[in-house]
Amino acid sequence: MVRSKTPLFLLAVLLAPALVGLVVFRLYPIALAVSDSFFNMLRGNQVFVGLDNYVALFTDSAFWKSLQVTLWFNLLINPIQIALALGLALLYVQKFKGVAFYRVLFLIPIGVSLPTAVIIWRIMLSPDGLANGVLNIAGIPGQPWLTSESLALYSIIAIATWKGISYWMIFIIGGLQNISPEIYDAARVDGIKPWQRLVFITVPLLRPTLLFVLVADVSINFLLFAPIFMLTQGGPADSTNVLMYEAFKSGFIFGDMGRAMAIIVVVVVILLLIVGLQFRLLAGKPEGK
Amino acid sequence: MKMWNTALAISMVAAMAAAPALAQDKTLNMIVIEGGDTTAMQAVVDAYTAAHPGTKINLQPYPFAQFFQVAELRLRSKDAGIDLVYVDAPLVASYASRGFLSPVDASIDTSSLVPAAIDAGKYDATQFALPINNSAQVLFYNKKLFADAGITAPDGLTAGQNASQADVDTLGSSKRWTWEQVADAAQKLTVKDGGRTTQYGFTVEQFGELYQLQPLGESLGTDVIAPDGVTAKGYLDSEAWIKAGTYWHNLYNEWAVSPKSLGYGEAAQLFGNGQLAMFAGGTWNLPILAETGVDFGVAPFPYFEGGKVLTPTGSWYVGVNAASTNQAEAFDFAKFLTTSDEGTRVWFKALNQLPVSKPLLDEISTSADFDAFPNNVFRLGVYDSLNTAKARPVTAAYGQLQDAFRTAFVDMANGVAVKDALESAVQKFESAAARVAQ
Repeated sequence: MVRSKTPLFLLAVLLAPALVGLVVFRLYPIALAVSDSFFNMLRGNQVFVGLDNYVALFTDSAFWKSLQVTLWFNLLINPIQIALALGLALLYVQKFKGVAFYRVLFLIPIGVSLPTAVIIWRIMLSPDGLANGVLNIAGIPGQPWLTSESLALYSIIAIATWKGISYWMIFIIGGLQNISPEIYDAARVDGIKPWQRLVFITVPLLRPTLLFVLVADVSINFLLFAPIFMLTQGGPADSTNVLMYEAFKSGFIFGDMGRAMAIIVVVVVILLLIVGLQFRLLAGKPEGK
Repeated sequence: MKMWNTALAISMVAAMAAAPALAQDKTLNMIVIEGGDTTAMQAVVDAYTAAHPGTKINLQPYPFAQFFQVAELRLRSKDAGIDLVYVDAPLVASYASRGFLSPVDASIDTSSLVPAAIDAGKYDATQFALPINNSAQVLFYNKKLFADAGITAPDGLTAGQNASQADVDTLGSSKRWTWEQVADAAQKLTVKDGGRTTQYGFTVEQFGELYQLQPLGESLGTDVIAPDGVTAKGYLDSEAWIKAGTYWHNLYNEWAVSPKSLGYGEAAQLFGNGQLAMFAGGTWNLPILAETGVDFGVAPFPYFEGGKVLTPTGSWYVGVNAASTNQAEAFDFAKFLTTSDEGTRVWFKALNQLPVSKPLLDEISTSADFDAFPNNVFRLGVYDSLNTAKARPVTAAYGQLQDAFRTAFVDMANGVAVKDALESAVQKFESAAARVAQ
């Protein structure tokens, strides 16, 4: 038997499942998307068209409208989700009467699968559903939650937020519990106010956790598809037509895989840029400064 | 899709190894729509395999909502795991233009089929698919709800009354209701309780689908798209379509007589519960409604006052996958299904869809079996298919057209301005069609 200092073989064996998964389920599909985006289907044959699919996107108003919807959607949903998740996490770690009930309440959305949650919300938001019933009792007319151009995107944001924040809350709780209580004790001795404690102690010390949550949340929301597919199919009047849905429609309904893959590659590039920017902004300064 | 090839190869090798004496045994695979279509197709398959013991036919059913995507993906990937495929009439061009289907064997005699149906299976003058059946749309109305409201119901076919083909021809040619009459009655038949609608006046069966709504604008004089198959400007956004769109918009908004976003089969359900006074739908609803106990009548599909009478038509075709390795066997089954006396008869009995076989159509018109209700409704189908049927447009970008059209009509029902919705549909269709036609 040969013994090496670094157990390379063991490392390889232990990392193999994760690495194989990464290659098969992440890198290979991305490579496939990139290569397919250079081809079009013409009369049953794949024809190499170079950058034509990308060039076509630049003059394609449906693509630009969809990009606009995607960016607006993410500009709203990510800060909302992270702020709410932080708020929930802060509440979660408090000690007050009935906290156990409260904790269970906010863990429920994690236990419900996304399609189930979406179907329940669809029923609640239907014209004769629970949401409008409650409004009617309060004397407010029912709202077209999912069928109006001005409301549909916000209804989807609300549903995705309801489903998502408890999950992110758990990570933030982990981060909160890593903050040493001595720091809070010292701050209390110095007589700082609760909001100062939040802004100057909690949030800065949570930065690594928040960075992870921000990156993961932005990625998930950029690729959000199921609620839109199940509730609005991109409508009404394209108000919820995010790039993922536009790509799905192009590839799987119209059979235009070249365009679909070009859109996917654009989404991946945008996502990489945003995530890169987040790392620079949030992880740049070393601690202790 | 390689998995399918491998699976098929393994199963074939296994079959050959197990029974060398039956080496020429063939297994054909066909994708069909789940539900009644599969049951009916199984009946035809049973009849066929009884006469051809060497052939086995596997049906692979998919739900309607996923069928088009599955067919598209499997055909595009040249999946030899399917031999026969169900093709919606307007998709023939789209499939054929991309080489998905084999040209139909010239030796198949199609002279017993309605010529218009045969033509709709052609692309570039070549036959790529054979018609399985036709379709006809009618107006179902609840007699009791009309009587309760004190409104005269449309002239139609009802239980307890016989009708000859000549009677039905008169009904179709001179007693057809207009959309204006439908709207008028629907408003009187809609009942609201507080903020909720407890009884709807009218709906179409397929919410926002081109198949059913194409006659709205076309009967006012303008086709959905130009004959070139790629231009929609000046067509779908024309005066005629704005008028048709406004009517549709009013059904859901100003008059609020129609329920929004009905899913597959929900119109028949509402009608069966007595919560819907009228709906425009296919003859396939007859067996479903017969079981509900609602006393209903069947009137011809309406038209706009002053417009031309046009009705939806066209239905499913069968094609042979170009990648199939069993071309001859697959065509032999397609021939049995669409042109043989036995195949067409079994299919019609099982599915209640208007046939395309001339001998069967003659039988519907003349046989005493079709005098009584609801069988005589098929005579209305015969009248419409001979006189008023208007096929859907032929374009390689039909999927794109159907989607843009549906989006526009769903949006209008949800309150988006008619002109904006139609202009957006024109723009979307034309840019997508340009990519197909390049």
